[in-house]
Formats: sequence, C-alpha cells, structure tokens
Amino acid sequence: MKIRAPKDFWSGVMFCGFAAIAILAARGYSLGSAGKMGAGYFPLLLGIVLAAMGAILIARSVVVVDEPISPFNILPLVIITTAVCLFGLLIEPLGLVVSIAVLTGLSAWAGPQFRLLETVALAAVLIAFSIGVFVYALGLPLAIWPSL
Amino acid sequence: MEVISNLGLGFAVALTLQNVVYCFIGVLLGTVIGVLPGIGPVTTVAMLLPISFTLQPESALILLAGIYYGAQYGGSTTAILVNIPGEASSVVTTIDGHQMALKGRAGPALGIAAIASFFAGCVSTLLIAFAAPPLAAIALQFGPAEYFSLMVCGLIAAVVLARGSLVKAIAMVVLGLLLGLVGTDVNSGARRFNFGMTGLADGIEFVALSMAIYGIAEVVYNLEKKLATSVVSDAVGRVWPSLVDLKYCAGSILRGTGLGAILGVLPGGGALLASFAAYTLEKNVAKPPRQFGHGDIRGVAAPEAANNAGAQTSFIPMLTLGIPGNPTMAMMIGALMVHGIAPGPRVMTDRPGLFWGLIASMWLGNLMLVILNLPMVGVWVRLLRVPYRLLFPAIIVFCCIGVYIINSKPFDAFVMAFFAVFGYVALKLDCEPAPLILGFVLGPMMEENLRRALLISRGDPMVFLQEPISLAFLLVAAGLLLVLAAPAIRVRREEALKE
Repeated sequence: MKIRAPKDFWSGVMFCGFAAIAILAARGYSLGSAGKMGAGYFPLLLGIVLAAMGAILIARSVVVVDEPISPFNILPLVIITTAVCLFGLLIEPLGLVVSIAVLTGLSAWAGPQFRLLETVALAAVLIAFSIGVFVYALGLPLAIWPSL
Repeated sequence: MEVISNLGLGFAVALTLQNVVYCFIGVLLGTVIGVLPGIGPVTTVAMLLPISFTLQPESALILLAGIYYGAQYGGSTTAILVNIPGEASSVVTTIDGHQMALKGRAGPALGIAAIASFFAGCVSTLLIAFAAPPLAAIALQFGPAEYFSLMVCGLIAAVVLARGSLVKAIAMVVLGLLLGLVGTDVNSGARRFNFGMTGLADGIEFVALSMAIYGIAEVVYNLEKKLATSVVSDAVGRVWPSLVDLKYCAGSILRGTGLGAILGVLPGGGALLASFAAYTLEKNVAKPPRQFGHGDIRGVAAPEAANNAGAQTSFIPMLTLGIPGNPTMAMMIGALMVHGIAPGPRVMTDRPGLFWGLIASMWLGNLMLVILNLPMVGVWVRLLRVPYRLLFPAIIVFCCIGVYIINSKPFDAFVMAFFAVFGYVALKLDCEPAPLILGFVLGPMMEENLRRALLISRGDPMVFLQEPISLAFLLVAAGLLLVLAAPAIRVRREEALKE
C-alpha cells in the first residue's frame, strides 16, 4: 500500500482526528433519543459522518494519484500566530501603541522582504490610524498607553 | 403597487445622511480592495464585521453589502489594465479586457464594464424587490422538517458548486457544523466541546474564525506565492464606449445579467460562478464568435454584468430564508445575529426598514460606483503600486484589533491564532474553507430544527420524507450528489471551473 495522493491522505487523517475528538467528547453528554434529542445526539451524528468522510479520503489516497503537498511555510506561520497571541496578552496591560508596534514588527519580519525603516513607518501609520478610528471615531474603550 | 411603496420606504432609510455615508464608505472600500491583489471582499467583510457591530443594523448591512458588490467593480479595473484580476470573479475579464487594453482600447473596456455592471445592478435590485416578498411568504409556511431539509439542500448545493473535491467539501461542512455547536447548548444548558476553557462557554466567536481563515491564514498562504507586481500605464483615454460598441454589447449584457441573476440565487453561486458561466455562454452563443480571446468587447460586458448581478441576487436566499449561499452572506448573517435579529423570512415583516433600506442602498451604491470608477480610474490604478509587504501587516493588525473589540476578550485572539493554523493547513491540503464557514453559521439552527422536527414526529426520521416540501429539498440534494458522482459530468465540471 502506497499513498499516492498525500493531500487526500492527510486531510483524511485530520478529519478523522476531529471526528474522534467530537465522538469522544459527545459521549460525555446525554444522548437522549431521536424523539428527545440530548446534547450529545447531533454532535455524535456529525462525528460519525465526519469520520466516514475522513475514511473515504484515506482509502482514496492509495488509489487516486495526486500531486504532493507543497512545502509548508512553517516559520512565517509560527511568527505570525505567535504575534497574534502576543497581541492578546499585551493589549490589556500595555495598550494599543505597544501591542500594535510589536504586532506590526513581528508580522513584517515574517515576510520575505523585511525593511526596518519602512516597518517603523508602517507601524506609526497603523497606530495613528487605529487610535483615530477605534478610539476617537468609534469611541471604543481601548487603552492607548500602558496602564501603570 | 406594494413594491413601489416598499422601495419608497427603502429609499427613505437609505437616503438618510448617515446611511448614504456608510454606503459610500462601503463601495469606496470595496473598490479599493477590489483593486488591491491579495485581499478580497471576504477578507474585508470579515475585518469590518467588528466595526459594523458598533453601528445601527441598517448601516452595518449597507456598509458590508457595499464592500461586496463594490469589489466586483474594482476587480475589473485591474483585470483590464494590468491583467491582474483583483478578485476571483474578474478572472475571465482579463481574457478579453486586457487584450483590449493592449490594443489601445482600455477606455471603452473600462466603460463597458461599468455600464454593464450598473445595468445588471439595477435589474437585480428590482429582481430582489419583486422576488423576495413571495419567497419569504412561502418560507414562513415552513415547519422544522422543511427547514432542516432546506439547509441540507443548501449546504449540498454549495458544496457541489464549490471547487475541489466533493468529499473534502462535505467533510468541511460537517466540521463547520460541529464547530458551530461549541459552547452552551441552548436546550439543555450543557457546555459542549469547551475542553475546560471558560473562554469557549459562549462558543467560538464567528469573527475570530472567519478572520483567522480569510485574514491570517490567507496572508501566510499568500506569502509563499510570488504576487506579481506589474508596470502600470496611466494612459486610459476616453472611457465612454461608442454607440456602435454599446449596440454590439447589448445582447451580451442582457444575457450576462440574466444568467448571473439566476446563478447568484443558487447556494454556492454568487459572483464567481456567474462570471465564468456568462463568458462560456457568450463564446457559444454570440455571433460572430471568432473574436473572443482577442479583445472582444462582449467578452468584457457579459462577465462583468454577470458577476454584479450574481453578487446582488445572492442576497435573496440570505434575506428571505436566512440561508447563506457563500461566505460573505454567512458574515452578513453573523452581523444580523449580533444585532439580535434572527435571520429568516421574518426579517422582511419585522424589520421592513432594514430589508428595503438595504435593497435601496444597493441601487444607490451602484450609482456611486459608476461615478467612482469611470472618472477616477487613474487613482485606483495607482493603488496597485502598494506592495504586499506593506499590506499584509496591516491586515493582521486590523484582524487582531477587530477580534479584541467584539467582546473585549483577549482569549479570542488565541482562538484566532488556533484557527489560523488550521486554515493554513486546510488551504495546503486543498480543503476549501467556504463550506466550513457556511456550516458554522448553520450548525445551531440545523440542530434546533432537527430536534423540533423529530420531537413533533416522536422520533420518526421518516418525517423528512413524508412532508412533500421537505422531500423535494432532499431529492434535489440527492440529485445534485448523484449528478456530481457521475464521472462524465465531473470531468466537465472540472473543465468549466478551470477555464
């Protein structure tokens, strides 16, 4: 048995994984009956369908021939998602200015052509624009500076 | 005439200063993002969802709708002038539109694109005004069984018309439905799939999910592709097409509008499918056909009419049934729900100002777009010089601020990061995210209708086959699946979508 369609195979594995989580978690909720559906009924049903779809994809991957998966762009993905999480951690204690500066810097650094001065300018523009739109125009209660 | 008084009410809402301003902002933003490659209307609507929550529901919908159909105009500008489709729905416009530009007829190409879009926009606005009330009246008769089957049918149709593998698309729908169930179950109060995290008690934030997939994941995905930068010539010349051109195109515009309007109503349809289908139809129907591909003005007129008509009629199922046909419509539904408006046939009777105001604003927005696009075309072309390396950090910043301001919950940023990773992997594995978004929006409604239908029938699943309307929906869904499974048609579908 050889995997000929890696995209099908791995998406099948991914869907089966999600299905397993859904089915295992749904067992913890009351199932009920068709006439009186409990909290676990519909999730269990969906989990089974999802598992079936995943199984079809895995089975198909040894029959159908498809191109390989293009290489993963791991580093930018890691940097950008880390930056997003960091924003969530920083926004309340440190306010908009610092968190946008960090977020812009990290994101731009993840791109293929990083230019320091340009990024500083971009961050300044984004900070000014965000404060103008979100704090002044829309009147949202966002901290601008770190709260001491 | 009821339609006239309804439209009168609509214009009274749409013509308030505030709503005119939001309509203008919407179409302006739509044009800008339509021009900029690498950022589409779905991304922009996702990014603006949090802002729209701070507005009146009427203004919110008018703003979001303006972005969606405005992008159809902007996308054609770059397609014609620099051979880069700003939007997926203007891909076909590049074929003949750019050829025209190379032959020094860029002006008339832009002109006919705007005129065709405006004509299609007017016709489909009227169509919505006439078709929506009877449709909503029918939908009001639906019981839970009919609604459940309608949703099944809508989701299957959306999957069938989407690109890529059918199995993957169904799996994405089911996963979307499951994600939609995360949080507190309205019926039993049980907390489902929260894995001990209090942040998930109210479910997964829709904005976090959609911005993760259409904002962050797409940025990372785009970073690995080389986005072509191009030399732009500023010379456009006279934009008004000659009378000869107009006569030559009249048939194409009519056919494009008609086809686009029909395809827009179908789930999974909308602007993209409409433009492809209209171009294919023109190639087969228009006489003499040999000019296509070499700068035939009809090859611009038909798809441009079709994508605008399709963009607008795709509002019909969303407004009358509460069923989203594409991700943008799913976001409109999300915007409605945040304002406490349950999407569905009652919107029209309960909130007539919202419904008719939105429709009137579409006509208004189309008029603004013609004015925005024709004389100011040079300004938009200059936007193309904005490099992606400046654009993408801005997208990420607005996604992050946006996701935070909805609930003032830092946890939502982590949710967004998680689904960004998922979205990126899904894109890599050729799993289209659109069905997931549709499933997510419909998940709770589907469960509720299934529960009620089975409660009434005392647990007998045959109820879905015994009610005639429900049976009809399920038969259509089964028919679509069967048709797609037939190998001959599958090949043709792939060809049609590839072309």
